[in-house]
Amino acid sequence: MSDAKEEPRIGVFVCHCGHNIAGTVNVAAVAEMARHLPHVAFATDEMFMCSDAGQTLIKEKIKELNLNRVVVASCSPRMHEPTFRRVVEEADVNRYLFDQVNLREHVSWCHSREPEKATEKAKDLVRMSVARAAKLEYLPIKSVDVIPKTLVVGGGIAGLRASLDIAERGFDVILVEKDSQLGGNVAKWTHLFPSDESGAQVIGPLIHDVKKHKRIKILVNSKVSEFDGYIGNFGVTIKNQSTGKAHRYEVGTVIVSTGFEPFKPVGYYGYGTSPDIVTLAELQEMEPGKQLLKSSDGKPVKKIVFIGCVGSREPGKKGHEHCSRHCCSATAKAAGDLRDRVDEALVLYQDIRTYGKGHEEFHRLARQKHVIYSKFPQDGHPEVEVKNGKIKLRWFDVLGGVELQFEPDLLVLASAMIPPVDMDETAKMFSLTRSGDGFFNPEHIKLAPLTTHTAGVMIAGAAQAAKNASESVIDASGAAAKAVGLMAQGKVEIESTVSHVLPDICSSCHTCVTACPYGAIAMDEEHDPPVAIVTEAKCKGCGTCAAACPSSAIVMYHSTDEQILTMVEAYLCATPGLQGGGSV
Amino acid sequence: MNTEVSTSMKTEKEWEPRIIAYCCNWCSYAGADLAGTSRIQYPTNARIVRVNCTGRLSPEFVLAALNMGADGVLVSGCHPGDCHYTSGNLKARARWALMETAIEQAGVDPRRVRLQWASASEAQIFADGVKAIVEQVRELGPIRSEWK
Amino acid sequence: MTEKKQAALIVGGGVAGMQAALDIASQGFKVYLVERTPSIGGRMAQIDKTFPTLDCSACILTPKLSEVAHHKNITLLTYSEVGTVTGKSGDFRVRVRRKARFVKEDLCAGCGDCAAECPVEIPNEFDMNLGFRKAIYVGFPQATPNVYTVDKENCIDCGRCLKVCQRNAIDLEMKDKTMDLHVGAIIVATGFELFDVSQYPRLGYGHYANVIHAMEFERIINAAGPTHGHLVRLSDGKKPHSIGFIQCVGARDVQKGVPYCSRVCCMYSIKNAVMALEHYPDAEVWVYYADIRAFGKGFEEFYEMAKKRFGVKFVRGRVAEVMEGKNTGNLVVKVEDTESSKVRLIEHDMVVISPGVIPSEGMHTMATKMGIEQTDDGYVQIDHSFFGPILTKVPGVFVCGCADGPKDIPDSVSAGSAAAMKATIILSKGGV
Ligand SMILES: Cc1cc2nc3c(=O)[nH]c(=O)nc-3n(C[C@H](O)[C@H](O)[C@H](O)COP(=O)(O)OP(=O)(O)OC[C@H]3O[C@@H](n4cnc5c(N)ncnc54)[C@H](O)[C@@H]3O)c2cc1C
Ligand SMILES: Cc1cc2nc3c(=O)[nH]c(=O)nc-3n(C[C@H](O)[C@H](O)[C@H](O)COP(=O)(O)OP(=O)(O)OC[C@H]3O[C@@H](n4cnc5c(N)ncnc54)[C@H](O)[C@@H]3O)c2cc1C
Ligand code: SF4
Ligand code: SF4
Ligand code: FES
Repeated sequence: MSDAKEEPRIGVFVCHCGHNIAGTVNVAAVAEMARHLPHVAFATDEMFMCSDAGQTLIKEKIKELNLNRVVVASCSPRMHEPTFRRVVEEADVNRYLFDQVNLREHVSWCHSREPEKATEKAKDLVRMSVARAAKLEYLPIKSVDVIPKTLVVGGGIAGLRASLDIAERGFDVILVEKDSQLGGNVAKWTHLFPSDESGAQVIGPLIHDVKKHKRIKILVNSKVSEFDGYIGNFGVTIKNQSTGKAHRYEVGTVIVSTGFEPFKPVGYYGYGTSPDIVTLAELQEMEPGKQLLKSSDGKPVKKIVFIGCVGSREPGKKGHEHCSRHCCSATAKAAGDLRDRVDEALVLYQDIRTYGKGHEEFHRLARQKHVIYSKFPQDGHPEVEVKNGKIKLRWFDVLGGVELQFEPDLLVLASAMIPPVDMDETAKMFSLTRSGDGFFNPEHIKLAPLTTHTAGVMIAGAAQAAKNASESVIDASGAAAKAVGLMAQGKVEIESTVSHVLPDICSSCHTCVTACPYGAIAMDEEHDPPVAIVTEAKCKGCGTCAAACPSSAIVMYHSTDEQILTMVEAYLCATPGLQGGGSV
Repeated sequence: MNTEVSTSMKTEKEWEPRIIAYCCNWCSYAGADLAGTSRIQYPTNARIVRVNCTGRLSPEFVLAALNMGADGVLVSGCHPGDCHYTSGNLKARARWALMETAIEQAGVDPRRVRLQWASASEAQIFADGVKAIVEQVRELGPIRSEWK
Repeated sequence: MTEKKQAALIVGGGVAGMQAALDIASQGFKVYLVERTPSIGGRMAQIDKTFPTLDCSACILTPKLSEVAHHKNITLLTYSEVGTVTGKSGDFRVRVRRKARFVKEDLCAGCGDCAAECPVEIPNEFDMNLGFRKAIYVGFPQATPNVYTVDKENCIDCGRCLKVCQRNAIDLEMKDKTMDLHVGAIIVATGFELFDVSQYPRLGYGHYANVIHAMEFERIINAAGPTHGHLVRLSDGKKPHSIGFIQCVGARDVQKGVPYCSRVCCMYSIKNAVMALEHYPDAEVWVYYADIRAFGKGFEEFYEMAKKRFGVKFVRGRVAEVMEGKNTGNLVVKVEDTESSKVRLIEHDMVVISPGVIPSEGMHTMATKMGIEQTDDGYVQIDHSFFGPILTKVPGVFVCGCADGPKDIPDSVSAGSAAAMKATIILSKGGV
């Protein structure tokens, strides 16, 4: 084990990342500069630091040169800090004695046209990191037990699937649904693509199994009203919306599967001005009789038009820039199904995105049944006029190069999937961030689509992004695997980067007690005079208390004032004595 | 090493603004990452210092940076309401006005500091923020001219 | 955890199979990961950057490779294939054929001394045969395990490698071995193959040197690839100033037996178009498409960025023909621009064809061994879109990633985790 009191012996490893860094930054020069910094015992540049070869090199050099601090200058620590922390730990260096410099996302990729300045910046950043490394301190590795119970928020198809999988695997589940019934959106759909069941046929058996399972506790009409704790040990208060009764539970992991809402496209294509202009979601609620009847006058619908991308794919319009993924296929399905009951069916679209298995086939089927597809331009959407109850539609058909007109009896708008109204509340509750589409951000968009930056909280289904029910089910099982993985191990490591009050300096002013957003600080009345004391398990490490404390009595482990300011100093006052850690 | 020192302390004519950018880990640091992966190009003058949350930043961090010779300081965090720790950024914002006054009293133009919100998906906003402070500071000139 | 560890078998070590392996192993169960090639990683190891955020593929994949390789519950069986499968859910007997790699895995340190000595140079399939490797080789620098393999078909038995290997790891007499496994669940993660685009002679692939396909482009633009990341034409090594990407080749084409959409081609081409402009900002880059299917999280936004910020030009229309100009090596693309209903002739100095995705080679043999059903297209038939999108028709056998149809990386990863969930439900009930 490295002793914190030991003189720092820092190893600096500069990564080429193939061409990604080395193509812009002179990595050899960066390593050369680092070699001469105070406390640096070794510096080199390597093709791929994260590869097995790179990892082995770090470990060998730690052993060979007795390094007790490691700096890797490579990509973003948000991706590989865990990787390198593990590597140094395998060589008996405490993970908190590692520091990573971001030469790729923050240098080479965003300054690729200015190689010299980029190299200069890279050198500065490495110098800053070395200065910080010299000041880093050993912190203990703590692990906690994981409560073998999962909270699933949202009882749509995703939430139901996740609950069942976890229960079948042998762990307890609390399933919370804000509605009075389970099933979510799928329960409302009459004909699902790509099979031909109704939503009820799919959801019914799932609800049945969930209700029957003794490991699943279902709370409908309920919402999470309070949430605290940390991975493995969350405390959650669930409140019944109708009775107002609240109950507190302890769970180890959470899956958020709160789904989406069909966008109500007020202001688009005359929506709201005629009962015969409906969304695709509303169409599903119309009587599925032999004939489709107009809501306005009860007469049969003879001509039907669908418009795609309503409230989707609008560049520059926040929350509406994304593709809603399900609607092209849902439209093809609905148009194909209804074709036999009407005289004419048209689909106006921008692109046809029937990408999924079997989707292309029923899109083709719809065309074979003479559903007419007409492409409109991105910058010239169809225009709708409602006069005397009649809907008049005009648009430019891109492929024919002509202006067309049509008077449908029913206009169906395939509207976007948008987050539920209380998305913001849910995001805050679980400290999740939202991406441009309004849905939750995963931990990594490609390799970690189901976990989030709140350790122990997973996302699944449409809550993560617009997607269809089959995809939501896959997500749900995947998220369940993540939760079970934690619970099956029974233990999980937690961060030691918490705050600590120095009792001798604390002036008992209570400032931090009120500043902490998590109620992690209380006054230790045993102490005389009473001083602030941190409950480490509750502290999330934000540092708000440290900034607030008027007596500078609070130390943020791994983010001390000194550790931060030494970086600033190393950049701005690049004289030998001030480069951080150097003895003057 | 001395060559290094001289590169960062160029003569007045070649003066390049030196900016410290404190970014919170969860939104702005990630936004800067996204600027990189999206290959958005912006000035090289800022050096990012990663902190957990803007709530961690007491005015001293900004003042110290200016004192040590930073020509400008950028503080970038999550949008109000989106802070990973619920409200750290609100506290940062509450302190901000106070800090600007403190800077002014020290004789430094408060336009040298900038507080901005950039989420993990707002790469362009992050990059624009860097551009803005660099341009602003370029206009104001080196900080050495201001300290009393 | 039960004393005797239950085990699962995963066939295919691409990103889906690796994710499944990790999620099973993290629960404490044992995993055998069988991969046919000498290294895990699958297609993702070959691609350069990844949509929709342009991370480099190696950068995000490499740590996963080493995580899988180092996990104490995962046994990697690379360069191996499944022989026979008997038994039922909870109790499968599987025979695995471990092909002789002529290098002892436990001794080889991956130093490469042998390859430096080997006199035989042949095209490297990892680089889509654009680069070269020796007869004793690793396909790519991050190959996992980092162990060399002798390609006996091309080896001339000169024995030079034997002499230089300081660890005596090479054994040119090595024989195939079999290994019998007892597992509770099986996951099929055998991924995909690319459609052979030379089946469209009118597009010139195979005839004109500067018509390449997307995977070749990925290798060319990759820093560790055959041109060290320099985007050049194969005919004369010149920088291309104008590049055309042709979409839906071997996809959405009923005549060619590939009626379905390959799901990733639109996005990987937009990505490659952007990367081309990253290399040469003043180049002209065109994409010829039928529909742009940017449906995943962040995809549409990426497509917008390609149009607005990078200036990629999109033309809707199927390409009728690609012709080569006299002596220049340049190409003329004949396309009916369906938006203007005009036939246009556009000259490029490089054309990149986007091949569709088809089931992996040998899928039928494997499906037969396991008794699982296939779709008309040859992919693994899933049990039900909503009740069992990762279940096959055989209990205890699951499927994920591109083995049941084209998918992008996030969808493959998610499916890998889901398959792990299903498999561990069986493992946790004991049985074996
Ligand atoms: C018009 C239309 C047609 C479609 N047709 C098809 C189709 O044919 N085939 C197909 O595969 N897909 C189809 N889809 C997509 C499908 O509906 C979704 O993929 C699916 O509903 C996603 O499931 P989910 O469980 O993630 O979310 P949801 O179905 O939205 O379920 C979320 C659940 O969470 C609950 N909830 C939300 N917030 C909270 C909270 N804070 N606390 C507690 N509970 C909460 C909600 O009440 C709801 O019950 C269609 C979508 C639309 C709009
Ligand atoms: C040109 C191109 C570019 C792409 N770019 C992107 C991108 O930028 N972003 C993105 O998200 N996606 C991209 N993709 C898609 C991505 O490659 C796939 O999503 C991903 O590789 C699927 O992973 P997989 O594990 O299912 O299959 P694979 O990667 O194909 O892995 C399957 C593995 O199984 C092995 N195997 C096959 N058969 C057997 C057998 N019988 N026995 C043992 N082992 C076997 C194979 O050798 C292989 O290692 C791209 C695809 C292509 C073609
Ligand atoms: S799925 Fe189709 S209709 Fe829906 S937003 Fe995407 S492109 Fe538009
Ligand atoms: S760092 Fe301080 S304010 Fe933040 S959670 Fe911990 S104790 Fe509370
Ligand atoms: S975490 Fe970003 S401002 Fe608090």
